[in-house]
Amino acid sequence: MTTSTIKQEQKAAPGVVNFLVGLAIVVALAFLARWLKGQVYGIENLFGWGVPGKVLEYPIWAALVGLVANYVLKAIRFFEYPKSGFRTELFLKIGLVLLGAGISFKVIITAASGAIIQGVIMVAAVYFFSWWLGGKFGLPDTLRAVMSTAVSICGVSAAIASAGSVLAKKEEITYVTALVIITALPLMVIAPLIAGALNMPEPVAGAWFGGNVDTTAAVVGAGTIYGETAQQIASIVKQTQNVLIGVVAFLLALYFTTVVEGKKEKPNAAIIWQRFPKFVLGFIVTSLIFTFGWITKDASGAIGGMKDWAFCLAFVCMGLELEVAGFKKMGWAPVVVYLIVTIFNTLLALAISWLIFGWLFPVSL
Amino acid sequence: MNVKINEDWLATIIAFVLLILAMVNIIAPSLVKF
Repeated sequence: MTTSTIKQEQKAAPGVVNFLVGLAIVVALAFLARWLKGQVYGIENLFGWGVPGKVLEYPIWAALVGLVANYVLKAIRFFEYPKSGFRTELFLKIGLVLLGAGISFKVIITAASGAIIQGVIMVAAVYFFSWWLGGKFGLPDTLRAVMSTAVSICGVSAAIASAGSVLAKKEEITYVTALVIITALPLMVIAPLIAGALNMPEPVAGAWFGGNVDTTAAVVGAGTIYGETAQQIASIVKQTQNVLIGVVAFLLALYFTTVVEGKKEKPNAAIIWQRFPKFVLGFIVTSLIFTFGWITKDASGAIGGMKDWAFCLAFVCMGLELEVAGFKKMGWAPVVVYLIVTIFNTLLALAISWLIFGWLFPVSL
Repeated sequence: MNVKINEDWLATIIAFVLLILAMVNIIAPSLVKF
């Protein structure tokens, strides 16, 4: 599938029908992913490789069917029409708010305390390492800023937030977004395997996924594959890190307007609230509702089921939204920088999360 | 009419509607079993 064939598609303005068709495709694929998971879950020895079927959790199937559908829809030139229904972020945020309804507020406070320390260390170290390395490879300042924010905070939304602050080019955002998703998908599967090989406790593994994997969807996916506690801690750590987006966007805007462009006026601090991920407030409120004991056992079962459905829809969309067309335009230097920084990020996050969640702020659920 | 709503708030509203429906037993666990 090439860019030119995609461009040949009839482009209609997305409307309600487009959205509903897209949503129907995503829901059908989520059912398919659930069915596939059910087919292999009970198998003790998959393909004779000694791998139990239960390691293939639903995020893997969902992303896989999404990827296949992505290819097929583009091949038959029916990708643009339903595209507005492919909403990774929307489904993910619904799932995260529902996830809060199963986590005690005390756990959030403990995990978030560790996550703030981890977040500040990680964001600062990874951001400046990426900025420095990008400079060594001769990348433009705007691309360095967008890439450094994406790899150090939370992928796509951080890339968009920082791009607004530094007035990056549209193709730089597209490029970094593609890089983030392409590396996040394999990391979602590989990180839990490494954690398993290292025999990491679930809270430590969750903190590692949250501090290391670049997109929130892939963080939740990795946590889900590893275990329920890992899913909860990974989500808390990632959301704590996401809250930093606004602060970094403000500091970047301040640096680029005053230092790079030499202007005297300063950017408005209101950007911190504008970029604040508001669904995190919903996550905190649902956790408080759970902590007050207002959720019965039956309601808890229903909320857990809806949370899994929402995440499954998000993982399907993640596969559907993978876009590699804008990748070839900028050469390989940014890819090399991104991969080196991702390895640095992975190793540093491993050490920091073990130190903080294994020793300083151990979480018991 | 074209009403734009922030995706964060939209997700939060949808999640709370689902939460309340589950809390008042309109959505049963068997209905949404994954």
